Amino acid sequence: MSHDDFNSHNLNSTGGQINCGEVLASLIFIIEGQLQEMAEAAAITDHMSNCLACTAEIEHERAMHTLLQDALRRTCCEEAPEDLHQSIHAQLRAQLGGAATTEVVTQVRMREISIEIDEFGNVERHEIEIEQTHIQHFVDDED
Amino acid sequence: MNAKDLVLESAADRTVRFERDALVFTNQLYAAALRYTKNPEDARDLVQDTYLKAFASFHQFEEGTNLRAWLYRVLTTTFINSYRKGQRQPQISQAELEDWQLEQAQSHTSNLGKSAEVEALEKLPDSDIKRALQEIPEEFRIVVYLADVEGFSYKEIAEIVDVPAGTVMSRLHRGRKQLREKLADYAKELGYTVATSKKKEASE
Repeated sequence: MSHDDFNSHNLNSTGGQINCGEVLASLIFIIEGQLQEMAEAAAITDHMSNCLACTAEIEHERAMHTLLQDALRRTCCEEAPEDLHQSIHAQLRAQLGGAATTEVVTQVRMREISIEIDEFGNVERHEIEIEQTHIQHFVDDED
Repeated sequence: MNAKDLVLESAADRTVRFERDALVFTNQLYAAALRYTKNPEDARDLVQDTYLKAFASFHQFEEGTNLRAWLYRVLTTTFINSYRKGQRQPQISQAELEDWQLEQAQSHTSNLGKSAEVEALEKLPDSDIKRALQEIPEEFRIVVYLADVEGFSYKEIAEIVDVPAGTVMSRLHRGRKQLREKLADYAKELGYTVATSKKKEASE
């Protein structure tokens, strides 16, 4: 049975603008939520709202995609061996010439107060808190 | 403090920043590297190389942009350039975009096929899921992994893999399809299902 026979009712109801095959060929864009990228987006949307077979197919595809994604995520979650973490850290430090660093934290806090008096003698007072933290790293001396 | 100290200081600073921001992805990158290389030794080396390369060009990385995507780009490029030398990968033809639309199912799947497919995905053990992923072509595997496990958008994947967005869509489509076909086959071998998954209805 060809798809055209299968969906002949549908071809009539949509004025024959687009057929099931064309909708199914755009499945990946529909699943990815990127239908707007297709030139025929409007015709496809129109077809989908009238075709039960396509609606069922797309629902099935969405469900399958979710299942596949769940299966992949559940499966592909190996943790790196502990010594890999350490060896990356060591290699990065080696790039620095094996030097350890010392952290120096400088914190500055101040309050800025400004007073404005306008021509009518109204006084406006503003206060701004300024806080600054500066962290520096120094490479320790070799010895 | 002389000029040399200043240079050292900024390098040290950068190391700390890199370690703080980039090393949180080690586990994720390792899992991806396992899918890319298919073995733990190469995966280890690949992740290590990736971090060293990323660190070497970290000064070029624009803060505030997507560090995770950038690291995956370094991982993928490093893998393609260094880890598959010798095992020449067949290039997918330029006509792939047109091909895949023609090849695409032109008829609806039967209800029997649908339920068999759902059953296969629900019942198969993790080892079979991994096996199926290993068996599909590398170009498809990488794209499916980046989309479905890592959740990158197809535009991000286009940048990571360095191919046009349309090619990503095509690989994603074909990769998922092949993966599902493999899983349906395994399920059939194991006797989980009676029908093959996505058998197209014969059309004249």
